[in-house]
Amino acid sequence: MLLARNLKIAIDSIRSAKWRSLLTMLGIIIGVVSVVTTVSIGEGVKTQVKDQITRLGPDLITIRPGKVVNRDTAGHVSSVNLFPSAGTAAFNESDWKAMQNTPGLRAVVPFNVVTGVPSTTERSMDNSFIVGATTNVPEVLNHKVEFGEFFNEGDVNKRVAVIGKRVAEQLFAENVPIGKIMEIRGQQFVVRGVFEEFATSPLTTNTDYNTAVFIPYETSKHISNNQVQIYQVLAKPIDPVAVNGVTDALHQSILTARAGQDDFTILKQDENLAIANNILTLLTGLIAGIAAISLIVGGIGIMNIMLVSVTERTREIGIRKAVGATNKQIMSQFLVEAAVLSLVGGIIGVVISILANYMLRIFTSLQPVITVPITLVAITVALVVGIVFGVTPALRAARKDPIHALRYE
Amino acid sequence: MPVIALEEVSKLYGFGDATTVALDEITLNIEPGEFVAVMGPSGSGKSTLMNIIGLLDRPTHGIYELNGRSVSRLRPNQSAKARRDTIGFVFQSFNLLPRLNVLENVALPLAYKGMLHSRRLKRAADMLERVGLGDREYFMPRQLSGGQAQRVAIARALVNNPHILIADEPTGNLDSAASRLVMELLSDIHKSGTTILMVTHNPELTRYATRVVFMHDGSIVADEQSEIGDIPKLARKTHYSIPKTTEEDDLAGVSALMQAIPEKDEAQKKAVKKKKPKAKIFRPRATKRGKR
Repeated sequence: MLLARNLKIAIDSIRSAKWRSLLTMLGIIIGVVSVVTTVSIGEGVKTQVKDQITRLGPDLITIRPGKVVNRDTAGHVSSVNLFPSAGTAAFNESDWKAMQNTPGLRAVVPFNVVTGVPSTTERSMDNSFIVGATTNVPEVLNHKVEFGEFFNEGDVNKRVAVIGKRVAEQLFAENVPIGKIMEIRGQQFVVRGVFEEFATSPLTTNTDYNTAVFIPYETSKHISNNQVQIYQVLAKPIDPVAVNGVTDALHQSILTARAGQDDFTILKQDENLAIANNILTLLTGLIAGIAAISLIVGGIGIMNIMLVSVTERTREIGIRKAVGATNKQIMSQFLVEAAVLSLVGGIIGVVISILANYMLRIFTSLQPVITVPITLVAITVALVVGIVFGVTPALRAARKDPIHALRYE
Repeated sequence: MPVIALEEVSKLYGFGDATTVALDEITLNIEPGEFVAVMGPSGSGKSTLMNIIGLLDRPTHGIYELNGRSVSRLRPNQSAKARRDTIGFVFQSFNLLPRLNVLENVALPLAYKGMLHSRRLKRAADMLERVGLGDREYFMPRQLSGGQAQRVAIARALVNNPHILIADEPTGNLDSAASRLVMELLSDIHKSGTTILMVTHNPELTRYATRVVFMHDGSIVADEQSEIGDIPKLARKTHYSIPKTTEEDDLAGVSALMQAIPEKDEAQKKAVKKKKPKAKIFRPRATKRGKR
């Protein structure tokens, strides 16, 4: 009941100084918006990455040169190296052959990077990448060729290419450029097929295959003077359940091929997911942490305004004390006011976050997800900030000497 | 049993050499139902006395018993509660909260008591009826005349049924017609049994009092019972005038002093400067506006 009355006083006093209250709340609003938006973007990206990874199939095995992760003795991923490629060489052909000869695998596809910019007579595309691969790319990527077909066993030495959606759009400016000619490293290639659009997720290191040009592995060797730079190998086991045994066997055969050097990483799909989650959680937390600072700044703003308000209302405090208000009652009045300011700020912040969420969905490829817990946490934190920073002004109000307060002009 | 019993109550301000004695061992008993007018020049300690009796302040020394209970050493929260339940204040400047309407202003003390919203508005409305402002419930304080505002303030002071009503120059900001109305209202309240303490500079107003106390330099110099309707002898003698000094008077005063001085050397110029404020102090100096 006392709370209800204090709420009314607080709302009256906020309404009587609308602009000042709004400016005070601005700090809290900005804080809440930035925290909620960053966390929701993080959540959204996580969902997208998860989608992307699960679409590749749960039994996919990724083999990469370099130590992407550190494992504990039990073989679980203990930490992730954010920049693993630095100073690490690629696989060569003998490594790949060793992997291919490992029993229990039905498809082992090397991704041999060829440097170069694909071009037509009219256009070229800088941001694409050229990959020499074997014929079972659609199988390991678990993805269909939408138009045309992927190159087959009879094409291994031919100059054919299968391209991603972006390449078709940007290089040929059409959807189905099958039979068209493109030039890579001075050699002409015929487009054999176009992949269905790959789901992409922003903010991840995962490759965007929509910008890829796939050419037969042998051909890629020819056009780059037999130099092989395999940046990853994708493999699928014959028995999806036996992934663990297969990875152990793979590990052994690669170790043998690389003369005992353990400088590569074999990742199962669930680990891939865990790594992506790990990195994203870290990044989201970092940005949200920085954003949270603005909440504290907002709290200081509230304290500042409340101190001004207490001084302005000295006489009111004196009158209230003269008619019998105890220190506690005066204190709770001002605490409630600070709490209401920050709570309203928090709610406005969440509303703006939801609007920002829709804007992001409409204008960017991000798919942010605002969950109920995060909004509740944001509002609660805002409320707590208001109360914490409201204590000092409220105490100051409560401790005012009624005689001096009554004389105050 | 006296409702207010002060025994050798002193109030000091400041420390060491700068100590000011605002109240100097005052002993005063006030019986229930008295209407006490407190008079005295500015700085005589009237307001300090009212603040101590009203539990807004604590005495430095001495014992204060309110309704037989010692209250000179109460904690702030206890004194707030005692103030809420036994004392009503009426100020010279009304002191209504500008953002609350008349009814809410009157109901304010009840809110701090924890009374239910509907009940306290009912009580406040009854009290407004009693001071003759039943039709002004939803006015804001700024929409009232001075006399009306003061009557609202009186309603607020009475809404808790206090034993004592402390009025610090209740008519100080009012014209004579409004003053009369307010004084008649206080007189009514007195007749219904409430003890009233009123600070005033206006000897005319002591007609309403049953007892007049004169203060000077923190002490009670006279204490006189009087009949309602009479101005006590001492009050009649007090002449209050608004000091009127113009620049010309000041100049004339200085030049007169200058003429009286035979030699105009530096030392005597200093003496002149010293004398001038002294001459001012001796002037009868009481203002109608009083002090706050």
